[in-house]
Formats: sequence, structure tokens, C-alpha cells
Amino acid sequence: MSRYEVNVLLYRLKKDPAFRTSFRADARAALAAAELTEEEREAFVRWDARRLNELGGSLHLLISIPGLASH
Amino acid sequence: MGKVVYAAAMSHVLYPDYYGKNVGPHGRRMVEDLIAVVREMGCRMLAARPDALVVIADDHLNVFSFDAIPAMCVRIGRSVQRMVQDGAIEFDQALDGLPERYPLHEDLANRVLEQGIESGFDFAASWSAPLDHAFLSPVSTLCGASPVPPLVPFWVNCFVAPQPTARRCFAAGRHIARVVAEGPWRVAVIATGGLSHFPALSLARVGTSDVQFDRRLVQLMEAGDHEPLCALTMKDLDESGSHEFLNWMVLIGAVSPAGARVRFFGEMGRVDLAAVEWVVA
Repeated sequence: MSRYEVNVLLYRLKKDPAFRTSFRADARAALAAAELTEEEREAFVRWDARRLNELGGSLHLLISIPGLASH
Repeated sequence: MGKVVYAAAMSHVLYPDYYGKNVGPHGRRMVEDLIAVVREMGCRMLAARPDALVVIADDHLNVFSFDAIPAMCVRIGRSVQRMVQDGAIEFDQALDGLPERYPLHEDLANRVLEQGIESGFDFAASWSAPLDHAFLSPVSTLCGASPVPPLVPFWVNCFVAPQPTARRCFAAGRHIARVVAEGPWRVAVIATGGLSHFPALSLARVGTSDVQFDRRLVQLMEAGDHEPLCALTMKDLDESGSHEFLNWMVLIGAVSPAGARVRFFGEMGRVDLAAVEWVVA
């Protein structure tokens, strides 16, 4: 599990509107350079917030990403 | 000689629409009742004529990133801005319309920081961190239309492991009390957040709280029995969802051995809302 990498990406999704737009257009392409496990990458691609949380993703990031927030 | 002239702690999502949407009418009513209580508390705070208002709260990964998370951080400088973020979460949208900038009490903030370093507290310092709802929702509710006293924002890392211990937070509060006592100012101190919500920071458990745990916290605060509070572990706070009680521990350190007076305790299901004052005069 690369908790740091998961959370850095979540933080970018929250704070960087351009990255968020590219992620929503093509998540797999937006994550191409990210050092993620396959499980983490798939959780991002299908936007499975619960799984990302179980994999170490910050609850507070997951509930506050514009347009993707999960409550 | 300076003095803590007012001390209180309270939940910091003071936004009826959020609870109306996520909990329903009873959530909305409960937070509206809490807001009314906090406004009354604000009248007492302002009647104490504070020269400065120390606000102890946490960051929700709005300000600090995973590049660096300070265990505790003092905001220094002359003024501080309100956080502005496109598409912000609902309870940060509640800050829209508030003033964009607030004065800081530069001298007191510098003393808390510098004397802290001298006495063994390796506080971080920030010249630029803005304030989110954890600070400004309580401050704006307490002060209403009155001018906000110059602020000393103080962050505690409540959410990113490893957090500071409850005992260390208490010790930081003792330090703040010493700095205040040695200075010339009348100081109000508030802590914000909680009580129990988001247990284990698990998305699957959002919507639940640990009422029994929070009732015990309240009993200990009322009794002024602070040693069991200092002995709380991060595992205790994480499992119960009372992470933000670390902020309260700083305040409790600042007012110890005073006992608390509970002004509001509401069991919503999703969160236990609370507002507490300490008799410090």
C-alpha cells in the first residue's frame, strides 16, 4: 500500500481543478505516471471511495473533492 | 499580569443546511439550538473584553498537505485570510460572505511560538495558512456583528497519524496559560471540533458516533478530573471518532484545574454536538 501516493493524488484532485478535469475525462490516463498498486489504480479508475478509504485514503479528502465527494 | 478571561469549546460545523441535508430535520433543529447557545456564549466572551482570542482547531487537509503535517502550528503575522476554495465542501461554503481577512494578535502569537520553542515545544510556524470552518464558523457565531478580537490561530494535527498525544496537547495548553499569565493581555481561549463523529476515519462508519465515550469525556471535564483525559490514547480517540478532542485537550491544559460547565450536549446520531465553558474568572 502506498498511502502517501494515494493521498497525494486525492489532495491534487481536491486542490487542482485542471487535474480534476483530466481525471474525470480519462482517469487511467491522468494516473499514468502515478506510482500506485494495481488495486489502488483500479479503485481510482472506478472511483470506489470506500475502497480508497480502506487502502489508506484520507476520509477528509474523500468527502471534500468537488464533484467527487462521498458522504 | 495577563489572564485567561474566557474559555470554551464547541463543535465547529455550525451550519444547519449541512445537517438538514445529511441527517434531516432533527439534525437541522439540533444545530440551530447549538448555534443559539454559542451566540449566548459569545456575549459572555465579548463581555469579558478580551484583547486576543486564541483559537485551537484542526486542519481538514485544507491547509497542510501530505508534504508536511505539523503536530502543532502557530499562525503568526499581522493578519490571516479566510480560506477560499472553489467547490468547497458545504460547511466551508458557509464561510462565504464572511470577512476575507482577520487581524492577528501578533505579539501574543510570537510569544506562544518563541517561548514554546525555548521551553521544549517544537511548534511549527505559518505565515500564510488560511482559516477554514474549524476556526471561522465558531468565531463568527460567537462574535456575531461585533468586531472579532485579534486572533491567535493554533492548529493541532487531529487526523493524520501519528498525532500528538492527549498529554502533550494538555502540556501545550499549560504553556499557553503560562505565556498569557506572563503577558499584559486579557485573553479568551476557545477550542473547536467534535465531539464523536467519523469513527476510525472510516467512510463506511460515517453517520455513527460513540455517545458513551463522549458522555465519559463530559463527566471528566465537569469534574475537573484531567488525568484520565491526559491518559486517553489515539486509539481511544480514533475508535470513538473523537479525534478533535485533542484540540479540547490543549484548552483543558490552559484552564486546568477548572471544571467545565456543559451548555449543550446533543446526540444527533451522526455526531455528538457540544458546547462547554470553563469558569476561569
